Amino acid sequence: MQDEPVATEQPQQQQQQQQQKEGEEVANTYVIRPNFESKFRPLLAKPVIHEVLVERLTDKAYDKEATSGLCKELTDEIKARLRANGFERYKFVVQVAIGEQRGQGVKMACRCLWDSDSDNYVQDIFMNDSLFCVAVAFGVFHY
Amino acid sequence: AGMDNLEATDESSFSVDEVSNIIKESVEDVIGTAHYSHNKVGQWTSSVIEQCVNQLTRLGKPFKYIVTCLVMQKNGAGLNTASSCYWDSQTDGSCIIKWENKSMYVIVSVFGLAV
Repeated sequence: MQDEPVATEQPQQQQQQQQQKEGEEVANTYVIRPNFESKFRPLLAKPVIHEVLVERLTDKAYDKEATSGLCKELTDEIKARLRANGFERYKFVVQVAIGEQRGQGVKMACRCLWDSDSDNYVQDIFMNDSLFCVAVAFGVFHY
Repeated sequence: AGMDNLEATDESSFSVDEVSNIIKESVEDVIGTAHYSHNKVGQWTSSVIEQCVNQLTRLGKPFKYIVTCLVMQKNGAGLNTASSCYWDSQTDGSCIIKWENKSMYVIVSVFGLAV
């Protein structure tokens, strides 16, 4: 009976120490690769992007003035949602391209020089009659 | 004072000018004055990106790179691109170049993230 309070105190102390470390600016965690649960997984991140695109772009038509503002808003929103989803210690780069659909040919490609164990990317494409939109989000682990 | 310089020397900060030259050279080299061709676009984008990545590696800086390339036929249609980054603004940087010839637009972006 007396052992129980002692056992619960220790995790609380550890939590407090961790919280103090997060508040400091310079704190070594000696983490050199993400553990499995906190990896930037495409499966987890893709619905986030998809939701944003569908929400903001269904029934929108390409409009040359409004679209550049819309593009920036989309990138900021995707970045904010990815940050809110966890993925601690990841740096993000989000790129969105919106183009008018007029039958022209478009090709977009990317290549990355990184640590394929910890870094990854997610992409999504949205099309309607008047526009197409490509969104890519790259997650790069910060050692 | 000597130790402080280790974090922000010229060698480990993103140099926009150098990267911008690398990009322009690669695009001129691979595409130059060619006319848009649906069959060749895949090859062009791959070559531009590969050349960029090879040159960036040769710089020998402690960076991870993300290079994207978009080629679009000139048709009168509009195109907008935007990017948003969550990074360390003191060490990381990006360089986005818009290039065109008579029949197509090429947009190449390079993001460098310090290790």
